[in-house]
Amino acid sequence: MKRLIALGSALLLLAIVAAWWANSRQPKPIVLIPTLTGKPEYCLTCHSDLPEISKSHPIKTFGCVICHGGEALALNADLAHSTMRGGANPSDLSVVQESCGGSSCHSGTAEQNNNHIQRVLTSVQATYAGAITNILYTYGAEGDLTARFGIRAVADAQVTTSTGVPALQAFDPAGASNPAIQKFAVNCLFCHLNAQPLPGPQFDRLSGCAACHTPGIGSLPPGQIHKLTTAIPYTQCNTCHNRGNYDLRAMAFVPRSDQPQAADRVQNYYQPIAQFTKCEYELDCIDCHTRTEAMGDGDIHSNETQIQYIQCRTCHGTPTQLPSTKMLTDPNDIAFRQAQLNPVVDLELGQTVIVTDKGEPMWNTRVLPDGTYQLVGKATGQVFTFRPVMGSGCTQNGIDQSSAYCHTCHAVQR
Amino acid sequence: MSNLSRRDLFKLITTALLAISGALGLGALFRFLDYQTDPPLKTAFDIGLAEDYPAGSRSLIAEVPALLIHDQNGFSALSLVCTHLGCTIAQNGTGFACPCHGSRYDADGNVLRGPAQKPLRHLRVEVGSDQHVILHTD
Repeated sequence: MKRLIALGSALLLLAIVAAWWANSRQPKPIVLIPTLTGKPEYCLTCHSDLPEISKSHPIKTFGCVICHGGEALALNADLAHSTMRGGANPSDLSVVQESCGGSSCHSGTAEQNNNHIQRVLTSVQATYAGAITNILYTYGAEGDLTARFGIRAVADAQVTTSTGVPALQAFDPAGASNPAIQKFAVNCLFCHLNAQPLPGPQFDRLSGCAACHTPGIGSLPPGQIHKLTTAIPYTQCNTCHNRGNYDLRAMAFVPRSDQPQAADRVQNYYQPIAQFTKCEYELDCIDCHTRTEAMGDGDIHSNETQIQYIQCRTCHGTPTQLPSTKMLTDPNDIAFRQAQLNPVVDLELGQTVIVTDKGEPMWNTRVLPDGTYQLVGKATGQVFTFRPVMGSGCTQNGIDQSSAYCHTCHAVQR
Repeated sequence: MSNLSRRDLFKLITTALLAISGALGLGALFRFLDYQTDPPLKTAFDIGLAEDYPAGSRSLIAEVPALLIHDQNGFSALSLVCTHLGCTIAQNGTGFACPCHGSRYDADGNVLRGPAQKPLRHLRVEVGSDQHVILHTD
C-alpha cells in the first residue's frame, strides 16, 4: 500500500512538473483589448505582423474577433481558429451578418447609407439571377425573363422599384432535364458573391465583400492579403468579369490564358470582342460605376441592365444638355463619407460635382471654372479632364446616348 | 543517518514527494483560481502636476485619449474616442475628425458630420491634494 502511495505521489509530482513545463513552452500572450468590445484577445501573439486591414477598421478599435470570430484567449492555433467565421473570408455571405453586420456597421438603414449587407444579398452580383433566368428562358424552361431563381433563396420585404421582384427560390439544377442547363450549373454556379467558392486558397476570398474589397497586389493571387479598400482597381473587377472563353460549341468554360496581365490594358479587359472608348479602358470601373450599381439598390432584379444606369451621358451630357451637377451644401452628404474612405480628392462644401440620374454625387468629379470637368481616378489618383458633348461637333441623337451608340465614333482600335 | 533504516528512508521519500506534490498542486490551484482573463480596464489616469497645464492650454493626453482644457472655469476634459465606433479622433482645425469613418466634431465636441450621432463625452477631472490631475473615464 505504501509503495502504491509513493508511486502515486511520484506520478503526481511528475504530472505537475510536466504541466509546468508544457505551460512554460506556451508563448507569452500579447494582449489586445479593443475599444469596441473591451474584451481581451490574444490573437496578436501570433499575428502581430499583419498590417491594419483598413483605416476604417483599426485593430486598436475593432480587434480581430469581432470580425473573424475564433477563440480570443486560445494560444493553440487549432483551438484559436476552430470557431473562426468563414475561414479565410469572414465576409463570405454565409456568415457576413455575424462578421460585418450591426446597425452601426454594415447592416444599418438605407437612410444612414449603411445597409450594405441587405443590398448585396439581393443584388444581381450575389443572386446571379440574370444569368440563371436567361439560361432557363433560352432553353425553354421559363416562359419569360422575369427572375424566379437565384444561387440561394432570397426575399425582399419591400420592393421599391418597378423592376424589383419580391423573392427568388434557390436554383436546383437537379430538376432540369436540358443538358445545357445542367452544364451551366456545373460550369457557372461557382461564380458570384453568394456562391460556394471553388476549392483552393486562391478562391478563398472571391466571395462576399472580399471579392471586391480585398484586391490582390502585384504577384499575390487575388485576395491573399489582409486588406479592405474602396479603391478597387479594374484588375479586381476583371478577376470575375473577364467572360473567360466560354465555348458555346462545347458549352464549357475555358479560363483565359492571358490572365492576370496581358500585353496592354485594353487587351486585358473583359469581353475580348467588345468595343471600348478611351475612358472605358483608361479609367477604373469604379470611377464611373456607382456603389448602387455594384452592390444593388436593395431590390431583387432580374438582370444587370435593370440596375445599371451609368452611361457616357452621365458625365458628358448630350448635344443638347450638360451633365447633371449639384453643389455640395450638406456636410452629411454621402459624398464626404465616400471621399473620406478613399481620399483621392479634398472634397469641400461648396464644390460642384456631377450627379447620376438617381441623384448620387460622383464625388470624384468636379466642375471646373472654364466649364470643363475633372475626374480623379479612385484607384490611381490620376487626374482626367474632359469636355461636355454640348458645344462639340457630336451629331448623335440626344436620346441615344448609351455607350453602345458612342462606340460608333469613339471606340479605340484593339 | 547511519541509523536510518531502509523502511524509514522509503517513508521519508514518500512523505517528501507527497509534500512537494501537494505544495505544487496547491500553488497551481491558487494560480488557477486567481487567474484573471479580463484585466480590469484602467479608468483613472494620473497625468501629472496641474502646473504643467497652464491656464489657456488645451493639451492632448494620448494615454487616455483625451483633450485636457484649462480655461477660466478650471479644468475640463473631452474624450477623444469617437462616439460612432470608438476610434481615436484627431484634432482638425478648431474641432476634431475621426480618421476611421469621417465623423467631425466642433471644439466643444458637438457633432458636425456623421456617422457619429452623439457628442464627445466630457470626462471628470480631479485635482488631488498633491496637485496631481486625475482624469476619470468611467
